[in-house]
Amino acid sequence: MLTILEQLDKGSLWQSPGGIHPPQLKTLSNQSAISRLPLAKRFVVPVPLVGEQATLTVTVGDKVLKGQILTEGAGFTYLPVHAPTSGQIIAIKQHATNHPSSLPTLSCIIEADGQDTWCDLTPNSLNQLSKPQILDKIKQAGIAGMGGAAFPSHVKLNPASEIDLVIINGIECEPYITSDDRLMRDHSHEIMSGVGVINHLLNPQRIIIAIEDNKPEAAQAMQDALNRSDLPKGVVRVTVIPTKYPSGGEKQLIQIITGKEVPSGAIPAQLGIVVHNVGTAYAIQEAIYQGKPLIERVVTLTGEHIGQPGNYWLPIGTTVADALQSVKFIESAEQKVIVGGPMMGYALAELDVPILKGTNCLLVPSQNEIAPDVDEKACIRCGECAVACPALLLPQQLFWHAKAEEYDKAASFNLKDCIECGCCSYVCPSDIPLVEYYRVAKSALKIEAEEKRQAEQAKIRFETRLQRLEDEKNAREAKAKEAAAKRQANMKSSDKDAVAAAMARIAAKKAQVTTAPSTASSTETATQTSQAVVDPKKAAVNAAIERAKAKKAAQASAARNDTLDSTSESVIVDDKQAKIAAAVARAKAKKAAQINQTDMVPTEVEPSTDIIDDKKARVAAAVANAKAKKITKENQTDETALAPQPTAEIESTTDIEASTDPIDDKKARVAAAVAKAKAKKLAQANQTDVTILAPHPTTDIESTTDLEATTDLIDDKKARVAVAVAKAKAKKLAQANQADEADTTIESIANDSITAQHTETPPTLKHEIASGSDTRLIINDDSAAYLTPEQIKKAKVAAAVAKAKAKKLAKSAEQEEH
Amino acid sequence: MAFKIASSPHVSTSLHTNTVMKRVALCLIPGIAVQSYYFGLGTLIQLFLAVSVAYLAEAAVMKLRHKNIKATLSDNSALVTASLLAVAIPPLAPWWLIVIGTLFAIVIVKQLYGGLGNNVFNPAMAAYVLLLISFPVQMTSWVAPQTIALNHADLVSSLQSIFELNAQYSAEYFRTGVDGITMATPLDTLKTDLSMGLTTTESLAKPIFSGMTTQSWFWVNMAYLAGGLIMLKLKVIRWHISGAIIASVFVCASFGFLISPDTFVSPLMHLFSGGTMLAAFFIATDPVTAATSPRGRLIFGAMIGVLIYLIRTFGGYPDAVAFAVLLANMCAPFIDYYVRPRSYGHRTGN
Repeated sequence: MLTILEQLDKGSLWQSPGGIHPPQLKTLSNQSAISRLPLAKRFVVPVPLVGEQATLTVTVGDKVLKGQILTEGAGFTYLPVHAPTSGQIIAIKQHATNHPSSLPTLSCIIEADGQDTWCDLTPNSLNQLSKPQILDKIKQAGIAGMGGAAFPSHVKLNPASEIDLVIINGIECEPYITSDDRLMRDHSHEIMSGVGVINHLLNPQRIIIAIEDNKPEAAQAMQDALNRSDLPKGVVRVTVIPTKYPSGGEKQLIQIITGKEVPSGAIPAQLGIVVHNVGTAYAIQEAIYQGKPLIERVVTLTGEHIGQPGNYWLPIGTTVADALQSVKFIESAEQKVIVGGPMMGYALAELDVPILKGTNCLLVPSQNEIAPDVDEKACIRCGECAVACPALLLPQQLFWHAKAEEYDKAASFNLKDCIECGCCSYVCPSDIPLVEYYRVAKSALKIEAEEKRQAEQAKIRFETRLQRLEDEKNAREAKAKEAAAKRQANMKSSDKDAVAAAMARIAAKKAQVTTAPSTASSTETATQTSQAVVDPKKAAVNAAIERAKAKKAAQASAARNDTLDSTSESVIVDDKQAKIAAAVARAKAKKAAQINQTDMVPTEVEPSTDIIDDKKARVAAAVANAKAKKITKENQTDETALAPQPTAEIESTTDIEASTDPIDDKKARVAAAVAKAKAKKLAQANQTDVTILAPHPTTDIESTTDLEATTDLIDDKKARVAVAVAKAKAKKLAQANQADEADTTIESIANDSITAQHTETPPTLKHEIASGSDTRLIINDDSAAYLTPEQIKKAKVAAAVAKAKAKKLAKSAEQEEH
Repeated sequence: MAFKIASSPHVSTSLHTNTVMKRVALCLIPGIAVQSYYFGLGTLIQLFLAVSVAYLAEAAVMKLRHKNIKATLSDNSALVTASLLAVAIPPLAPWWLIVIGTLFAIVIVKQLYGGLGNNVFNPAMAAYVLLLISFPVQMTSWVAPQTIALNHADLVSSLQSIFELNAQYSAEYFRTGVDGITMATPLDTLKTDLSMGLTTTESLAKPIFSGMTTQSWFWVNMAYLAGGLIMLKLKVIRWHISGAIIASVFVCASFGFLISPDTFVSPLMHLFSGGTMLAAFFIATDPVTAATSPRGRLIFGAMIGVLIYLIRTFGGYPDAVAFAVLLANMCAPFIDYYVRPRSYGHRTGN
């Protein structure tokens, strides 16, 4: 450091790489002293920290004085906000702010009373205050870096490490801007007082006031002020450096003054260096010696479209529109209003935005002052950007990767070290807006990093959840196993029989499907005596159907049925089933039935579904006889889809299973009847309705078979009605009507059943049902057996009623429909 | 009111791509003038042909690519490519040679790679190599230089020769040439002689090296050097590539010459003969196909210089500029990847 100090004292300078020499155009605004503009009527004071670090101390309608604190809060980087003038708070709302995005920020809108009355100020001198008190005063004055970044100054004045060198930045390298230039010329003494405060706080070995050689008047004024001041002579020094953009950049200035580079990602304080703007020094002095908070700043209003270019004291919160209005702003088409200089400034989208602490310039250029909007051309890799880059980057490579959205590669070319000075864009012969590409790439990288962080978090959460689910699953399984073991123990008697029966049915079914001769093999497999309890019933139903439709086959099966009554051997059951299969074939539903059956077999695994399927096959046969092959087939498929669900759930007694049988059985009859009645289509619709309705009761395991039987009746009757209606030749109308009826009649079961008095049943049907009931009785299915005759009767009644009143019903249906 | 939004910076220099390209083309003028003085008006006819074909070809490709024809043509890059190819080929070469070369350069080497800024190889040099390999006879027959340009081949005879209106053209035609005035270049002769066991001194004693021939090539190179220096002054190019080429050719040639003056050509002969200066200032400095960082460009230039020397001395072709440039083009992305400047704040060991 010693040699560096010597070199600092000698005034030696180092070369900063890159840089450009754009036209300065500073004389436009630095010819006259800083002046004031008439006080605006309305001020917009953003309070962005409210809600995060601070709370508002005022509400709408409050009267405020100039310099009054509007927020209070805590936090390392918290800065209070002050009222720029006296007046009334007329609103606290989201308002567009001075930012490239113009995004709204919570702001206090103050209506000035024109008095500009100060609140109570407490001026101090340095020896009255301790260092923490000075820092607090600077903090309470709301002083932020005046160079543009607006970083809270008290933080930089209270560093963690020792500060050897303070650089007071009076470079102002951007073209057009002269606010620091004029401040140094007009208020050099005050700045020097501020430097004194900084010296007092940081006690560095050297303080360098750096000024570019294009501001000789300012440098002279500062030198004079330094000579007049009581600052130790050996410590503070005014150094004039060659004009080059961007020498005013913090890192570049440090390099020029000390030859050191701030390591990437580090701050100058790590080198023992702090840089403060001259404007900040002025504000510090105001805060300590005058007690005034930072509520106004010097702003350069310049550009060819400003009538009176120059530097003005503008209260923070003055809107850009008001400021421009009072300096005779000439608006043109495609006008740009730039906040900051032409190199790094941003164009405003709207003018009703406030002047902020870091707003050093408003540039309102004419068309010939700024680059015209031209299309970007191909990069010819001329490398001029790399020559101009003060950060020694390869802008052409950064551009190449940024454009291809290979942001990781751009990052590998040190994208984050880009200071966005704009030198590369300035020199680009192909008019490529390089800085814009870098900004996009930088934000993309930022978002990517954020997403990565979130994904990491989500991953942890997800893995925790998986673990939890796994644990829960294991616990559940263990519980289920336990329950199953318990059930097994309980099933020892009758329940176990049911399961066994079901198993036997599967075997029987398989045998049946393959062909009749395979009975022998299936007999071997089925040994359980209890199987007979269930199977006979099924078989009986099947047999009944066969008898009705194909007398020959039916007779054979009936004989076997009788045998079944006396015995409960599974051998007989299987035998019978084989016969039934043969009967089905004989029942002239060859193709249809077969296809149906084979289709069903592979899919059915649940023992209880077999019963239904088996029956269904019969139904198919019956329907086939009725010459409605295709239609019923479709029906059946519907049934299969619906039926297994409820039956699968049935874990209890066969009684319930049996009870489903009658329903389906009856349905089959109904289908046949309907078919015979030559109302094929109608029946189809009806049946589907029935199937949809029927299975539901069975799902309620607890419910009695009586209930189920009643639903059967309903369906049965409906079917008759359908037939009647069909006969009445009101096919289409009736169909619609029926569908309605299917839904409505459920509630009026009782009435319907009462009306059933006279019956004319075909003998075959009677017989079939009787035999069916017989078998059921044998199976001890009391309830089912009890119900079946009733059903039959009711069905007949329904049919009769339907036949008798077909026309009337059709008519009424018609009326109802309309 | 609506205000114009734009990203900073809001100002820029006036040196645009089209200006850069135009300046490159203008800086070629001294070289072209001297070349025409010594080798006749054929160069100018070739130039006219090349530029016309280049613009037509580029316009056609732009039309096919649905791009703005005017914007592309006005960047003047086709002009530079065509000019470089035109001055590189023998002045009295048949018209189809330059047409094929230009079409290849513009359509295949440049536009098929994505147009200006995206081509991997220097279009003019790639075309030159194509022509050299495909039509070696036509590509190595240079007109014998004469003091007064009008003396040997006037405009009409040049046109006749180029457009093959003279019915007697053949491969031999270019050897004997219009009135027997075409001949091999000095470098070609020297190479042939050295391979036949002659020493450089013996070879240099030949008439081709006395008087007009060597002198003409020297002055042509000097003219290109002058043009190059103007470009440097105008900051159209940076010194790194040119400097590295000249330095490396000079170092290599001096080394060889000091070891064995009898079998190796003198450094001056290397620098001011053939296309050395043209390559150093106008061809290798094409930024698109060169390395981009200053250090990378030094390596790129040195590589070209060494390759020129090696190919000239040990290779099968008398001149090596095109091959050297193309080989270096291939290495440019590699150089760029590995030779990166140290960014601010990334001091090594810090």
